Amino acid sequence: MGEVSTAGSGVGARVRRKEDDRLLRGRGRFVGDIALVGMKELAFVRSPVAHATITGIEIPEEHRGTVFTWADLAAGGVKPIRAVSGLPGFKVSEQPALADGKVRFVGEPVAVCVAATRAEAEDIAASVFVDYAELPVNSDMLEAVTPGAPKVHDHWPDNVFLETNVGGTIAEIAATAPVKVSRTIRTARQCMVPLEGKGVVAHWDRHVEQLVLTTSTQMPHIVRAGLSECLDLDQGLIRVVAPDVGGGFGWKGLLQPEEIVAAWIAMRLDRPVRWTEDRREHLVAAANAREHHYEITAYADARGRLLGIEADAWVDAGAYSVYPFSACLEAAQVGSILPGPYDFAHYRCRTFSVCTNKPPIVPYRGVARTGVCFAMEQMIDAVADAVGREPWQVRLENLVPPEKMPFDNVTKKHFDSGDYPESVRRAVAAIELDGWRARQKAGEADGRLIGVGFATYCEQSAHGTAVYHGWGIPMVPGHEQAQARITPDGGLELRVGVQSHGQSMETTFAQVAHEVLGIPLEKIKLVHGDTGLTPYSTGTWGSRSMVMAGGAVATACRTLAERLRRIGAHLMQAGPEAVVLEEGSVKAGAAAVTIREIAHTWYRAPQLLPADVDRGGLEVTAGYKPGSDHGTFSYATHAVAVAVDPEIGQVEILDYVVVEDAGTMVNPMVVDGQIYGGVAQGVGTALYERMPYDAEGQPLASTFADYLIPGFTEVPHVRIIHMLTPSPYTEFGVKGIGEGGAIAPPAAICNAINDALKPLGVTVTNAPMTPEVILCAIAETRGAA
Amino acid sequence: MKAVDFDYAQPATLDAALELLAREDVMVRPVAGSQSLGPMLNLRLAQPELLVDITRIAELRTIRQEGDRLVIGACVTHARLEDGDYPDVTRGVLPSVAAVIAYRAVRNRGTIGGSLAHADPAADWVNVLTALGADVVIAGTGGRRSVPMTDFILGVFETALQPGEIVAEIHVPALSDRARWGYYKVCRKTGEFSHATGAVLIDPARGVQRCVAGATSGKPVVIDGPALFADGCTEAAMAAHLAGSPAADDPIALRTHTVALKRAIAQVMS
Amino acid sequence: MSTHAKTISLTINGTRVEASVPPRQHLGDFLRERELLTGTHLGCEHGVCGACTILIDGEPARSCITFAVACDGRSVTTVEGLDDDPVAAELREAFSAEHGLQCGFCTPGMLVAARDVVLRRPDADNPAIRTAMSGNLCRCTGYVGIVNAIRRVIDARNTNAG
Repeated sequence: MGEVSTAGSGVGARVRRKEDDRLLRGRGRFVGDIALVGMKELAFVRSPVAHATITGIEIPEEHRGTVFTWADLAAGGVKPIRAVSGLPGFKVSEQPALADGKVRFVGEPVAVCVAATRAEAEDIAASVFVDYAELPVNSDMLEAVTPGAPKVHDHWPDNVFLETNVGGTIAEIAATAPVKVSRTIRTARQCMVPLEGKGVVAHWDRHVEQLVLTTSTQMPHIVRAGLSECLDLDQGLIRVVAPDVGGGFGWKGLLQPEEIVAAWIAMRLDRPVRWTEDRREHLVAAANAREHHYEITAYADARGRLLGIEADAWVDAGAYSVYPFSACLEAAQVGSILPGPYDFAHYRCRTFSVCTNKPPIVPYRGVARTGVCFAMEQMIDAVADAVGREPWQVRLENLVPPEKMPFDNVTKKHFDSGDYPESVRRAVAAIELDGWRARQKAGEADGRLIGVGFATYCEQSAHGTAVYHGWGIPMVPGHEQAQARITPDGGLELRVGVQSHGQSMETTFAQVAHEVLGIPLEKIKLVHGDTGLTPYSTGTWGSRSMVMAGGAVATACRTLAERLRRIGAHLMQAGPEAVVLEEGSVKAGAAAVTIREIAHTWYRAPQLLPADVDRGGLEVTAGYKPGSDHGTFSYATHAVAVAVDPEIGQVEILDYVVVEDAGTMVNPMVVDGQIYGGVAQGVGTALYERMPYDAEGQPLASTFADYLIPGFTEVPHVRIIHMLTPSPYTEFGVKGIGEGGAIAPPAAICNAINDALKPLGVTVTNAPMTPEVILCAIAETRGAA
Repeated sequence: MKAVDFDYAQPATLDAALELLAREDVMVRPVAGSQSLGPMLNLRLAQPELLVDITRIAELRTIRQEGDRLVIGACVTHARLEDGDYPDVTRGVLPSVAAVIAYRAVRNRGTIGGSLAHADPAADWVNVLTALGADVVIAGTGGRRSVPMTDFILGVFETALQPGEIVAEIHVPALSDRARWGYYKVCRKTGEFSHATGAVLIDPARGVQRCVAGATSGKPVVIDGPALFADGCTEAAMAAHLAGSPAADDPIALRTHTVALKRAIAQVMS
Repeated sequence: MSTHAKTISLTINGTRVEASVPPRQHLGDFLRERELLTGTHLGCEHGVCGACTILIDGEPARSCITFAVACDGRSVTTVEGLDDDPVAAELREAFSAEHGLQCGFCTPGMLVAARDVVLRRPDADNPAIRTAMSGNLCRCTGYVGIVNAIRRVIDARNTNAG
């Protein structure tokens, strides 16, 4: 601690990104940009039905040898994906990379076709005839858990991956609480939609005798582990490389069937192969997230002080358990984080991870928090309505106050620091609530209805070992490592196992290193995203990279600094205690030797080194874990003003304020960017994005004409106000921030819409709040009146 | 997501194009800017064997005034109509409508004739040209014929074009200087397809009172303007006029179309 | 390997190129796969996301729904061809200063579209910038940095012109 400055280019400085120039000149290198000599392209035959037995696959004579099915892969020793959870009662799914006799969702890969161009591979795919004997379909999670529902996995007793029960009985509170409000709340199935889809280039490197999988991933080391399991190939024989990656948001945080297939085909044909996920594949066959259903009740006293929360929650996890996060992470997280940033004593939550005939869900930015916040924050507003107070007042009534920090909540989450109520007070002031209330009272000339909504959350980020060990999934984060190496010319190379796909780590990790060593940013090079070049890491997910890998970079650089000081002191004939490392030089009074000179000594003039020099030299691998295994807790209050057009159901966002505490910011510009981007995705969740399925399990959106993501005119010019409470447990006091922006918008916008619709007596509780949803709610209320 | 293998021709004259389009031995489709057909080809929703690109035919790219009509070649782009390098007899209607079609990059390639031939009910020109009372000149190997917009659009992606025929010209009548125009689209996003379109032209000098409800589940619904105005032009009257039409498939749709029409009419009245 | 391959001749980033293309190959694939101009990115291949936006005869167009064969005789400019373009240079500077890019995948299309807005709409206020840019999707930035970057370039040009 105590190393934070706001000037210069170290921690806290708003410096421009080292990544920008190549990307602005179109000289980045994404998977789809890579062409290898003799490379073939892959296209998949995908299931057009949601649930069926495959009774036959006919491959035209002329394409035998260029079309492969599970029979080929299985004969080659390929194993299905198994993403098991150690939680008691978890049912295991086996997902073959190509369907093994049965398909369980529309878009599931059935066969793969190899050709010189993608167009020709698609031609071949169109010529393959698959005979499907259709089976009854589970298209809705609530129906899938009813007795007699068709089974997605034949040998299971039901369609539930896992049921969890958190908390105890709250019958006493339920019987006596002065206020009781209940809601049915739902969030839609969404697609993650990074602008770049997934992509893979696979080849066998004959020189190093390794399978090289260049893939658009957030976690190369985890993909390697999964590939090794499925291909039955030693990890040492596999190298996974992530080049420039065009956004991830969770979608690139898993082992994909297509990666296994591409790897196997490359080895089988001894040819480089490429698969590029197109937008239709992305929307239809994959990348699904966020489908929650809540039955929730809040108990409170007459002031709106929460006495207890009781909920049942269902998550539609789709047909298979994804590697490494499993099918239960989302629902299990619901149980543990539903209480949000609030202090109350009584809690019971039962969750179900439901298996259906839809694509598996993947943790999407914020994971379960977006749904949880959507549910909990509606309940706060419902309580406020019941007790006749402003929603922000009821939030203040219940938020953990700063004097109780650090605080262990009802589910034993350890909130590290901050002033949650102050974030609400600042949001109320910044959105200028009084002005909106006056305008609401006066009414709008155009007949639209004004509403203001708030949502507060706290977010556990940079998860520790215990919680993942508890879930018992294939990946448990431990110590994060970084390598730091002074180059012979006095520059610095950093190697980290996390992967930057928009997070600006090439810049921000350099800032961390600069803070410790004083080496200028332009002489610091980050190497990341390559199992062959970097230390093991679970990768970039869960808002962890700056806390974990940033901490590791600082730790490694500190060790380097000590070694530099010792050599520098020797060169100046000073005692090690008499020197300091400042501005890239070791100084002893007026004398100084630069890091460049010390590097020259180590590499090219070793005869000048002290006899007791550390033989590790100017290269260090250091591990890091924060002082607490509970992760960091960043938090925010979002405030939004909307105008709802009750005639056509459209919502315009008039103002949007985020009051955010991410602890110490390494680069405030980058932090702001993460928040802006997160809010935009949250606006999509709130108002636009829904992957609809019909009763037969057919996806009803397959293009950007049907699946709407917010554009320039749909996203507000968000205003951000920072609170800066350093985490007591991390290097520099940083907290994870990557996901936060996406968590609160659906809740805040929903509360604002309901505030606007209050005069009509209308409440909406399901996201997205499309014109149709709003108009139907208005019509139903009119019909009931 | 790549198109099926197709052949391609880019004839320089209309006659040469019509000759190719008349071929019966292959599945042939005309293409202009490819802004609607392009996605359908990539998605393999359209699988032609031969594409006939008509954009190099000079006469289809002209705009000229003929008496009180503006004659717009089928391959004139939306961007050109937006930028307005022609005698605009519609007193601003054409440029203002063109400016809100999709996005500029699409408008630079997409054409007015292509849009009509595609006949998406949500398309701007489908509804606007109906409200303006335009005629479509269709060319085929058998010669030319002129069809009023109300008879040209037959339904969703359905037109009066026969196999081998293309849209050659659009004839737009001049508005009088007293004409008033209202246009309102209900879109969830900028540039996105309309879910309900209201287009209204009041031109007393020419005795025109035309109201169109577009982006329906069928062809544009042309409402008897004088009757509507005689009924007081209330919301209830509008809903009554739309009842039973493709704008009234369900209560929500009827409501949204009524509002779009109401707001277009309000622009005329203001 | 199309039986229908056509020979086209066009100018790409100022250089004359002659090529045999299958008619079904869209311009984006042609630029990327044959000319190795991989700065043009494909985000949807149905004309909505704008990542593949390039210039044809100086006007922005979607390269994913324009077929290469239709560009015979045309002049095509990709992001790689804008290295020395003064407006693009101002935009690159402003995008970097305003954090108008994160993963960088939408960025080439954004620059091409933004350049058109700067040249065609020097009077644009922020809502007008947003409307004019609405044909390009970004999933990372929330658009704030991009709007600020275009604002900065327009303002600077207006100040210099004044």
